Amino acid sequence: MSADFLYTVEIILNGLMAGVMYALVALGFVLIYKASGIFNYAQGVMALFAAMTLVGIQSGQVPFAHLINAIFGTEVHHFGWTVPAVFAIILTLGVMVLFAIVVERYVLKHLVNQEPIILFMATIGLAYFMEGFGDLMWGADIKTLDVGIPSGASVWLEQATMGWAGEDSGFYGFYIDKLDMVAALVAIVLVITLTLFSQYTKTGRALRAVADDHQAALSVGISLRTIWVIVWSIAGFVALVAGVMWGSKSGVQFSLSLIALKALPVLMLGGFTSIPGAIVGGLIIGVGEKLFEFWIGPMIGGATENWFAYMLALLFLVFRPQGLFGEKIIERV
Amino acid sequence: MADLATFPRLLHDRAQRFKARPAMREKYLGIWQTWTWSEVDVQVRTFAYGLAALGFKRGDRLLIVGDNRPRLYWGMSAAQCLGGIPVPTYQDAVASEVSYVVEHAGISFVLVENQEQADKMLEVREDYPGLLHIIYDDDRGMREYDEPGVISLESVMSSGLELQQRDTDFIANEINVGKGEDTAIMLYTSGTTGKPKGVVLTHDNLMFSAKACVEIDSLDENDSVLAYLPMAWVGDNVFSFAQSIWCGYCVCCPEGPETVHTDMREIGPTYYFAPPRVFEGLLTNVTIRMEDAAPIKRKMFHYFMGVAKQVGVRLLDGEPVSVADRLKYSIGNILVYAPLKDALGMGRIRTAYTAGEAIGPELFQFYRSIGVNLKQVYGQTEATVYVTVQPNGQVRADTVGVPVPGVQLKIDDSGEVLYRGAGVFHSYYKNPESTADTKDEDGWVSTGDAGFMTDDGHLRIIDRVKDVSKFVSGKLFAPKYIENKLKFFSHVKEAVVFGAGREQAMAFIDMDMEAAGNWAERNNIAYSSFQELAANAQVYQMVKESIEQVNKGLIDDPLMSHSQIHRFLILPKQLDADDGELTRTLKVRRAHIADKYASLIEALYSGDSSSFIELEVKFEDGRSGSVSGTLAIEDAQVFASRASTDKVA
Amino acid sequence: MAAQNAQAVPALDAPIMEVKNITLRFGGVTAIQDISFDIREGEVRAIIGPNGAGKSSMLNVINGFYHPQEGELWFRGQRRLDARPHEVAKQGVARTFQNIALFKGMSTLDNIMSGRLNKMSSNILAQAIWWGPAREEERRHRESVEKVIDFLEIQHIRKTPVGRLPYGLQKRVELGRALAAEPKMLLLDEPMAGMNVEEKEDMSRFILDVNSEFGTTIVLIEHDMGVVMDISDRVVVLDYGKKIGDGDPDAVRNDQAVIDAYLGVSHD
Repeated sequence: MSADFLYTVEIILNGLMAGVMYALVALGFVLIYKASGIFNYAQGVMALFAAMTLVGIQSGQVPFAHLINAIFGTEVHHFGWTVPAVFAIILTLGVMVLFAIVVERYVLKHLVNQEPIILFMATIGLAYFMEGFGDLMWGADIKTLDVGIPSGASVWLEQATMGWAGEDSGFYGFYIDKLDMVAALVAIVLVITLTLFSQYTKTGRALRAVADDHQAALSVGISLRTIWVIVWSIAGFVALVAGVMWGSKSGVQFSLSLIALKALPVLMLGGFTSIPGAIVGGLIIGVGEKLFEFWIGPMIGGATENWFAYMLALLFLVFRPQGLFGEKIIERV
Repeated sequence: MADLATFPRLLHDRAQRFKARPAMREKYLGIWQTWTWSEVDVQVRTFAYGLAALGFKRGDRLLIVGDNRPRLYWGMSAAQCLGGIPVPTYQDAVASEVSYVVEHAGISFVLVENQEQADKMLEVREDYPGLLHIIYDDDRGMREYDEPGVISLESVMSSGLELQQRDTDFIANEINVGKGEDTAIMLYTSGTTGKPKGVVLTHDNLMFSAKACVEIDSLDENDSVLAYLPMAWVGDNVFSFAQSIWCGYCVCCPEGPETVHTDMREIGPTYYFAPPRVFEGLLTNVTIRMEDAAPIKRKMFHYFMGVAKQVGVRLLDGEPVSVADRLKYSIGNILVYAPLKDALGMGRIRTAYTAGEAIGPELFQFYRSIGVNLKQVYGQTEATVYVTVQPNGQVRADTVGVPVPGVQLKIDDSGEVLYRGAGVFHSYYKNPESTADTKDEDGWVSTGDAGFMTDDGHLRIIDRVKDVSKFVSGKLFAPKYIENKLKFFSHVKEAVVFGAGREQAMAFIDMDMEAAGNWAERNNIAYSSFQELAANAQVYQMVKESIEQVNKGLIDDPLMSHSQIHRFLILPKQLDADDGELTRTLKVRRAHIADKYASLIEALYSGDSSSFIELEVKFEDGRSGSVSGTLAIEDAQVFASRASTDKVA
Repeated sequence: MAAQNAQAVPALDAPIMEVKNITLRFGGVTAIQDISFDIREGEVRAIIGPNGAGKSSMLNVINGFYHPQEGELWFRGQRRLDARPHEVAKQGVARTFQNIALFKGMSTLDNIMSGRLNKMSSNILAQAIWWGPAREEERRHRESVEKVIDFLEIQHIRKTPVGRLPYGLQKRVELGRALAAEPKMLLLDEPMAGMNVEEKEDMSRFILDVNSEFGTTIVLIEHDMGVVMDISDRVVVLDYGKKIGDGDPDAVRNDQAVIDAYLGVSHD
């Protein structure tokens, strides 16, 4: 096998891994969009908030420490203990569910039957609120997140594939980050679980029903409010997963919330209503931008990864507005 | 029992032999329920006891009305056990039509499928109070019926059980009394003209047909059929009843008339029968789906259908085919034919028959080319189906095969086909004149069909004797021949060609709503009703092209070249059995149509470019309405006969 | 079929629902004004009236979509406070909609199955691993759905996405979904709107069959006077949000106020 070919394979593999990370974020959008027709601008911030909460709980940080200290003149920052990762994750999940309940009670409930644009604006507001609230609760400093996911190159894989291209080719084996591999695995499990959940459980059926037609769902005895809480909780859970993965990779900081922007082109590719679409869209963009950077990048001065996804999305908007898997709207006369 | 002369005896024998093998299946509540041969035997006996408890006696007639249901078939057997005569009748016949049968056959017992049929029988009873007992199978909606004599099959069965306990040998004795020459069944033929006639068939007749094709098609207990054609039709009695009991194969009843296709796919019958119309409808569906399919798929389909056309039929007939072609065909089989057959529910078919009407050669070869062993059988109710059949390896589109063993054929001076043999009916019930007209003292039965024997001993049917006529010029006019060519186009559902005693042939075209609708959708043609679509200029153009293609095909046949269609129109409504334009078996009633649309025919011949028409239409609920409008009449191009141009040159 | 679903028909006098002095306002507009009537157990009760008479509003009040400003609703002997639609559904009230609210992307089977959501246990864990009892439960639900399919004669479209079905069949599927919930009371909002004569007759037959086979109380709104008079036991007539007639079809047909209301407004 030639070294060039193996490099290409490596790039594709890395692209796939990156794509999985995009897909994780896009998934959260799709879930909420399907169930309530809301484009949730706050999805990225939810991931950031979830990651911050996780770090905070894990490291025994005192929530609202700055506020407390400012008011009471105290100097508390840490409880002095650390919480094992598993418990911290469960507690964070609890926080996300609580958050879902609050959102339903204080935001969505009052906006029933409003135009999508109004709901969208509400989620923008929500995003800014959460961002500020997160900072207030846990502080704005950059944190490192470590829940025990291995990272760094997979030495095993590198060694196993070393020499495939011959001794002097300069190919030292596939370089793939272990964290990316874990992320891919987690994403696969997540998607399978979500699919089984929506196909075979009562709640899943109700979710699909609500996604299809609100009025009909009401008439068969589905409580929209309960469903919304469930959907936002699941979206919160997905945000947590995305937050953990991205947070472990590049630290928990404000820029984490911007990964939401990367999810947009993924959604345009995959369609806003399709879970498989989110996955495939993520993978296409991941692989596409890596290959583009590798092949075309050098010719036009590099840094194509910043805009390639948007360009691709634009093309899709022109030729296939509903995305790869989105529902085609057919009106029969 | 030593001799198996009657069906109740045969059934009992088969129950001993096939025991736990499946005898019947029925899809109910989405699940296929199965009855074994032993279970069927028990059910039939209990049913017979129940009938006896109601007072059903030897010689009584049991009218059976409904879709194909196991219990209705059991009803036939139960009546036969008691020496009674089942009279299955068309389930979609209206009360007035059934009324005739009830009165003519002197019916006092009727077994119906459901509320709809029970209501119909109660309506019949208003004029014919002799109809005492109405037994219903499906109790849905029957709760509040307190009319006397309306009784559920369930309670018939339970009173049957009671009687059985008191008199355990009664039915066995009754069965023993039965003889082969007893009447087994009476079938009222829908008849293209006049009142229906009750064809009396004996156990001997049915037994002949039960065995007739067993060898030819090597049928056995591993086969299965789908019982979906009307029980009143003789074919269903042979395929779903007589042959099934003889061979021990399983009869599957679909959920309902509308699910036949899905159910067929699930069952995958090995033995299948359908009139050409059904094969045509299925092909139309395939064609539509392929025209809508992605380009790659479409190209692949057309390519491999081309391969199939070249070698498929030869392969099926066991003729030598080159290795390369074999290879191409087997790739085609994986990619196209097998999935297609599977989608049609024909994946397991070993033998399929068609009859009732001539089948278009292209249509016929299409199925054979994809490996469905479709053959033609020529038969009649009066022959208990079988007159001629195509043995494997001798299958051709233009003939209907060789005489079935035990049947003799002759062609009389007028060209009419006559036959005699063991399947020949006993008589028409209470109608000795008609019996004598149809069957002479020597047992020869007139078919009413004109035909001739080919050199290799195959029968070829031209048309009905009464339909074959002549143009003014004295040349032969065989309308059905031309109509069948037209009907091969997917957008033509039915065609009626006129020309007897005229100088030229003219045609009415009845559009296929589904195919034309799809075509319109693809071509962005807006329409709000059938009538509007049928009048569309582009539709006319399409039909015109089809007719010209047929005309072109006719010039090759010196007997037919003068029958080219000169002018045509598209009917504003579908031909319908409810309006008397088709028979219940969906054959065109030519005379009735000619009469009803006389003004249109005149317009065709007078050279007008349009004609106004007002039509009475009967809705399914029995009410009438009218359709009116101005119809366009178009000319079709007529081609010079090749034979004559040759002469000129 | 369905014999086990049939309930002994109770005394016809017992009201399953009483509507007492209901007034419903939207901002300044009064949609329903001081309306009272009762619905007896096991009857077919029609609400008729010209366009804009408040029929749909009335149905939406019964269904819990709207909460009236004044008046009381009594259901099965208990006063019903402002209940939300899904709570009303759980109490045994199912409905269909004038403009068909089906899950368009799902098959007929799934749509009708969704009508049974309220009857499903929500043991997520058991369902997730698809174990014995959960499986048995699924089978049970599937069976009752199949009975509904058989009842409505829609076997042939079992697996078809309902969005692809013609209008008349969609209406039937919607009725099926309502039936799957085994409701005590069934609300039908113009079940025959937009149908041809034949479809209307089919639908009438199904409504009457539901009523007689399962003993379900039926409340229906309908525009087509002919059909209503044929199939209902009693009729309430509304006009401009007020009740102007109430009684059996013949009485209502001959009621002067009703005749005036229908003649005074143009109907197309």
